Amino acid sequence: MHPSLIDLVHISKSFDGELVLDDLNLSVRENSFVTLLGPSGCGKTTTLRIIGGFERPDAGSVIFNGENITDMPPNRRQLNTVFQKYALFSHMNIAENIAFGLKIKGKSKDYIQDKIQYALKLVNLSGFENRSVDSLSGGQQQRIAIARAIVNEPKLLLLDEPLGALDLKLRQDMQYELIRLKNELGITFIYVTHDQEEALTMSDTIVVMNQGYIQQMGTPEQIYNEPENAFVADFIGESNIVDGTMLHDELVEIFGAKFACVDKGFGVNKPVDVVIRPEDIDLVKPSEGTLTGIVTHLIFKGVHYEMEVTTPNGYEWLVHSTDMFPVGQEVGIHVDPFDIQIMNKPESEDEEAVGVNE
Amino acid sequence: MKTIQSRLKRFFEDFYLVFTLIFLYAPIAVMMVLSFNSSKSRSQWGGFTFEWYRHMFESAAIMDALYNTLLIAFLSALIATVLGTVAAIGVNGMKKLPQTLFMGLNNIPMLNSDIVTGISLMLMFIAFGISLGFKTILLAHITFNVPYVMLSVLPKLKQTSRYAYEAAMDLGAGPVQAFFKVVFPDILPGVISGFLMAFTMSLDDFIITHFTRGAGINTLSTLIYSEVRRGIKPSMYALSTVIFTTVLALLLITNFAPAKAPKEDRREGRQTSFGTAFRRTAMIGAAFLVCIGVGYTSFRHFASTHSDELFVYNWGEYIDESVIAQFEEETGIHVTYDLFDTNEEMYPVIEAGAIQYDAVCPSDYMIQRMAENELLAELNYDNIPNAANIGEEYFTRSEEFDPGNLYAVPYCWGTVGILYNSRRLEELGISPPTGWADLWDPRYRGEILMQDSVRDAFMVALKRLGYSMNSTDEAELREARDLLLAQKPLVQAYVVDQVRDKMLNGEAAVGVIYSGELLYLQEEAEALGLDYELTYVIPTEGTNIWIDSWVIPYNARNKENAEKWINFLCRPDIAKKNFEYITYATPNAAAFALLAPAYRENTQVFPDVSSLVNSEVYRYLGTEADDLYGALWKEIKAQ
Repeated sequence: MHPSLIDLVHISKSFDGELVLDDLNLSVRENSFVTLLGPSGCGKTTTLRIIGGFERPDAGSVIFNGENITDMPPNRRQLNTVFQKYALFSHMNIAENIAFGLKIKGKSKDYIQDKIQYALKLVNLSGFENRSVDSLSGGQQQRIAIARAIVNEPKLLLLDEPLGALDLKLRQDMQYELIRLKNELGITFIYVTHDQEEALTMSDTIVVMNQGYIQQMGTPEQIYNEPENAFVADFIGESNIVDGTMLHDELVEIFGAKFACVDKGFGVNKPVDVVIRPEDIDLVKPSEGTLTGIVTHLIFKGVHYEMEVTTPNGYEWLVHSTDMFPVGQEVGIHVDPFDIQIMNKPESEDEEAVGVNE
Repeated sequence: MKTIQSRLKRFFEDFYLVFTLIFLYAPIAVMMVLSFNSSKSRSQWGGFTFEWYRHMFESAAIMDALYNTLLIAFLSALIATVLGTVAAIGVNGMKKLPQTLFMGLNNIPMLNSDIVTGISLMLMFIAFGISLGFKTILLAHITFNVPYVMLSVLPKLKQTSRYAYEAAMDLGAGPVQAFFKVVFPDILPGVISGFLMAFTMSLDDFIITHFTRGAGINTLSTLIYSEVRRGIKPSMYALSTVIFTTVLALLLITNFAPAKAPKEDRREGRQTSFGTAFRRTAMIGAAFLVCIGVGYTSFRHFASTHSDELFVYNWGEYIDESVIAQFEEETGIHVTYDLFDTNEEMYPVIEAGAIQYDAVCPSDYMIQRMAENELLAELNYDNIPNAANIGEEYFTRSEEFDPGNLYAVPYCWGTVGILYNSRRLEELGISPPTGWADLWDPRYRGEILMQDSVRDAFMVALKRLGYSMNSTDEAELREARDLLLAQKPLVQAYVVDQVRDKMLNGEAAVGVIYSGELLYLQEEAEALGLDYELTYVIPTEGTNIWIDSWVIPYNARNKENAEKWINFLCRPDIAKKNFEYITYATPNAAAFALLAPAYRENTQVFPDVSSLVNSEVYRYLGTEADDLYGALWKEIKAQ
């Protein structure tokens, strides 16, 4: 099994009296690709900066390879960061940028030359040595920033929304590039983003954060299919989150209709949140549906149709389907038991705070 | 039609541009031309010469001032750049509100008038017992330079991404290394422009330097200012020309050099290494210069802490400089020699006691004022045996402001009289003037030059009325005012220095002038080959006899050396040397006997003092009388 490379233990941090991280615990295994995902202000970047050594936690410790590095300055940590805005040194050319860390460590000229060639080849920018930073596109600059970091052979690479400034096509290309790099180099990546698609595509593990708390941690599939609370469900993909009552194990009542599900252990007649993904709703004949409603909205999205179905109580269900039902038509709603996700309603105030903001 | 119109438009546009440029640069051009004029006159071309440039480079005073100016400008700019850059980094890290507050505080000194900055710095130095000198000027310049540096560095810092610094740390650089390798190159243009701005501000400054400088130290601006009294010498034009061309060259370099650098950078990566090599050389050069500068000044500092010292405070151009060297050689006393331009400027310096001078050379009425305010030390004539060379009649005259001759030994003297242009008078058909009354002759309309100073103007009127020129009687003074008002339509101008130049140029028929100017005037007239004679007459009603004398301030630290100095100046050969340089009449009888007959027979310069029965010496009249004179003078000038 992979041992843990970095552990954040009871980390708290506040800025100007505002709590940004509250008793955060996180363990990252060696050779994994971990993504910190959350909306802006959720504390993900602060977490990364604490690992990088640019911020010091108010409480708690950072354990790296079994060593407590909480008070170690960034220049002595065996990890490197790829910054959001590349942070290339504009007065140096590409080769000098890449060589920066190696020169400081006093490596030999030949070693540095080799490393520059190797790194440029790795990021597909061979021959760019003497170019100036300004003459590169955003994607090229980001690849140089990555090259500059990896020549130092860090055990851990921190990436702070590295693709945020790139356009969609470039971003998708770079996502594959990053996965390839990670596999070739065997370095642990901690990746910060607010883009759930990016997180789902690249990560081994996703850590969903909000308001200084970790909401859920798991594989992309777990996060997507079994969100633990309404926030995660809402943040990852699109969802219908409705109030329901758990009548007993494997049966939930929604808007007066009974749905079979696979969840157990919530008790009897317990109010719960129910998450149903739009693509998991099957539209059937009204007579065959558990609930009935009328199609009130229809958009063609290419891969599927996006529809809104309003049930008599006024709730608008979001539905993705490859079958088209025209506006005004009455339809039945059917959901397979394993597509229904039951979540506890938040009880404490803290949990309430992470609730959905719609 | 259209073409003519557009051509005309074009012509006027060009004309306007050229006109503006002429307006801006004509004064400088005039100065540059005059710096090559072999005549000292400001309006007569006497032929091309490099004489003034030679004189400039040979003058120890100018070269010393130039050295001080450059060293202070360089050191203050350098230190201010370091302080300002560090401060800017600190401010940049502040939160918004404290930052705004701090920058506001930072900007106030820049908007503050120089005179307030200068005086407050001087007061602070005195309060903390820091003796005024090179280091106080340096401190003052650093003080006013720091805000400029901050103002030029801060915007660059704001442009610089914080991430670059963090990235450098991330790649293994320590905080200092990260700053110098990554942040500093980014803000370097701001730092350099801050340095250059500070350098220029320091180079330019007069007022603050004037207040914070101490004995024996001049920068170019204070030196030029102290030349004003006798009229600025052409070597100063030469100096100003050199400064102007230097600044122009610097400007051209700084404006054209940085525009080129980044282009080369982009075209070819290798250029960057050339750039760094160049930068490194420049840095080493700068460091080298600083070492030399600091070394030299500390050498000078130690060299100047002689056990035997003398601090002399004298008018500008009021000694043959070789006399100082000779004194130092003969006595082994190191002389720190300092200049003032007016009695009124000298007085507060002595009164404040910030600089402890040992020998000072004020004028009559000011000696009286200093004695009354107990600012003078009694002389020990046993140490000044050569005082016996001074004519007895001068000591008698001195009793008017220095009863008992306790404090002052006469150095130079003269009268105030009328200078007239004989040919001009012939043209006007007027016989030469003999007394002040002639200056009210309506035929002189527009031909009279009067002295532009209260006491001198009133002296003329009071003497004409037969009153004392030291009158404090309000009725008499009002009468004098009315007389001056009546004369005003005849007067061409109230001027000071220009009497000399205007008379040389034949612009006026008569002018009230100090006799000290005479020898210079007459020699210049001869050199220019003027076809008219300028003659000086002492008016029959009596006039002002002025006597500049050596005194020792109460707080002198080297009183015996000061007495040696005065004794030395009273030596006949030395007094003769000084006379030949200054060309003001000497009261030294023994020296007079040694002069060339041409001088001795010049009764315009050397009138018989005992015959000037109606003449007086200015006395200090007190503030009340000063105010009255001032108010009446204002009425005259206002009309």
